[in-house]
Amino acid sequence: MKRRRLKFPSLPRIPLAWYNLRHDRPRLLVAGAGVTFAVLLMFMNLGFLGALVSTTTNFYDQFNGDIFLISPQSLEISTTKAFPRDRLYQAAGIEGVKQVMPLYAEYALWKNPETNLSRAMFVYAFNPNDPVFLMPEFDTAEKRKALQQPNTTFIDRRSRPEFGPQTIGLETEADRRRVTVVGQYDLGGGFAADGTLIMSDQNFLRYFAPRPLDQVSLGLVLLEPGADAQRVKAALQAQLPADVEVYTKAEIILKESQYWIQTTSIGFIFGLGVLVSFVVGTVIVYQILYTDIRDHLREYATLKAIGYSGGYLFKTVIQEAILLALMGYVPGLILALGLYQLALNATAGTLPMKMTLFRVVFVFVLTVLMCALSGLISVRKAVTADPAEVFA
Amino acid sequence: MSSTSTAPPSSMAPSSVQVRNLSYFFGKGDLRKQVLFDISLDLFPGQIVIMTGPSGSGKTTLLTLIGALRSAHEGSLQVLNKELVGLGNRQLVEIRRNIGFIFQAHNLFESLTAAQNVEMAVELTGNFRGKRAQAVDILSQIGLAERADYKPGALSGGQKQRVAIARALVNQPQLILADEPTAALDKQSGRDVVTLMQHLAEEKGCTILMVTHDNRILDVADRIINLVDGRLESDASPQQFVDSHTTKALDQKMFIM
Repeated sequence: MKRRRLKFPSLPRIPLAWYNLRHDRPRLLVAGAGVTFAVLLMFMNLGFLGALVSTTTNFYDQFNGDIFLISPQSLEISTTKAFPRDRLYQAAGIEGVKQVMPLYAEYALWKNPETNLSRAMFVYAFNPNDPVFLMPEFDTAEKRKALQQPNTTFIDRRSRPEFGPQTIGLETEADRRRVTVVGQYDLGGGFAADGTLIMSDQNFLRYFAPRPLDQVSLGLVLLEPGADAQRVKAALQAQLPADVEVYTKAEIILKESQYWIQTTSIGFIFGLGVLVSFVVGTVIVYQILYTDIRDHLREYATLKAIGYSGGYLFKTVIQEAILLALMGYVPGLILALGLYQLALNATAGTLPMKMTLFRVVFVFVLTVLMCALSGLISVRKAVTADPAEVFA
Repeated sequence: MSSTSTAPPSSMAPSSVQVRNLSYFFGKGDLRKQVLFDISLDLFPGQIVIMTGPSGSGKTTLLTLIGALRSAHEGSLQVLNKELVGLGNRQLVEIRRNIGFIFQAHNLFESLTAAQNVEMAVELTGNFRGKRAQAVDILSQIGLAERADYKPGALSGGQKQRVAIARALVNQPQLILADEPTAALDKQSGRDVVTLMQHLAEEKGCTILMVTHDNRILDVADRIINLVDGRLESDASPQQFVDSHTTKALDQKMFIM
């Protein structure tokens, strides 16, 4: 007698996989918790990695540039090699370029006026007449004027509390020179900086002498409305010598993300975290499935004896694995969402743990893969069950 | 007793199982050990055949060979008109679907109800629409209608074995193979189980081959085959068997004849 294909969805096979799992509730709970744990670990690792990537790049959202010029020797924003300002003037002549703006960047030691301890603070400097930053605080003429006063700076509200108070009017020292806080803004320093300052290029000269202003850390290029970024980029690349590289905004964000993920240990650490979670999950699910198969070996052998094929048992075990994946994934996702929020609150918004659709799908695929893999490892015992054994 | 002879009920009836010069070996190379020697045997529809013999005599091996649970290599073994010698694993699985198996242990899934355990067998025939009705029907035939939705954990030993029998019978196989079906049961349950099998042989005309050491049930047999050291030692009616074995091991009082 040939088995016929199932015709009516209302008359399904007995869901043996589900019943087997459900039969031993405590074991199912442990298994589900194990998968949930693995899912949660994967989400957290990917979350930290994603947050890292976005903190290292989200300040670009506040940079008012369509195309960026940077030295090929620069690794990322906090480790830049300066390039000649002339390149910007050359770029200004290209068709489609509306405005070019230099940005300077250095580290300074910022003294906490309460503890007198100095910490490295990351400093951006620009010409206050250029619309380099998109933060609303830089929009008013009054604020720009404040920046142009000697020995003044704006401070990032997201700087770590170890830098001390950030109130406007505060006086302290930066690189052993008196400095007055005249404004605040929200930017965030990413993983490279615990805090940031923004000052005028003239003040930059004062603090970082002898560094000249004709050596630029990053060049911002604004395009004419309607200009094609790729075409202008190609023209810039053709025109400019090899001491600068040209990136669109999306490209420079990608480049810096890749720097952090690929060429530092950070990507490796979190990648390893995901891998370890994956292995832990695989082992947990394998343990559960293996025990289940061992406990039901006689029954499985009986099924083979009465005419079920090895394929049916294979499917049953894989179904159990997939069911475990689903049961562990959903609570894992919910917990991860909660922990993301917790991490966001705990870091006062500086660690932007955001769930992305890609990550939801990616971890789901990993979870199914994890369970299927342990299913495949453990299924052999069921498939090779000798039906003659049940008579022994 | 429907018959006391080894001959088929009707001389024209084809045999369900035909064994010719069957030999079987375990192991390979130097470790190769012969466990069955040149067995020839016919089982006919409607017969209950009990196979006895000391442990290690090859009874279970012969049973598993007939049940297509092992592949035979030497001789000829025809089960339900199909030659099993030389068949591949996949073809053996197909053969097994037409045989009812009853084991010493019930081997029921603890996670499924009695009816669902029986339905697992029905699903092999592709009958999804009527599987529940079929399962409940066979369960009521063996007096377990009201236990259909109980899980094995809530059934007594005898009830579990009856569910296992229902699973073996539900597809109305022409051949039933049983290995010590009453070993785990008390006297009354064991008797109920064999009576049930007896009815089936009579009503459906199926062949039942049973390995047992349980002297209490020898009376249901039409034939008793005795296997010693892998050889067919005797093939007789129960009365002849009892007569020739009484002085050695069997207690005549055990038989209800």
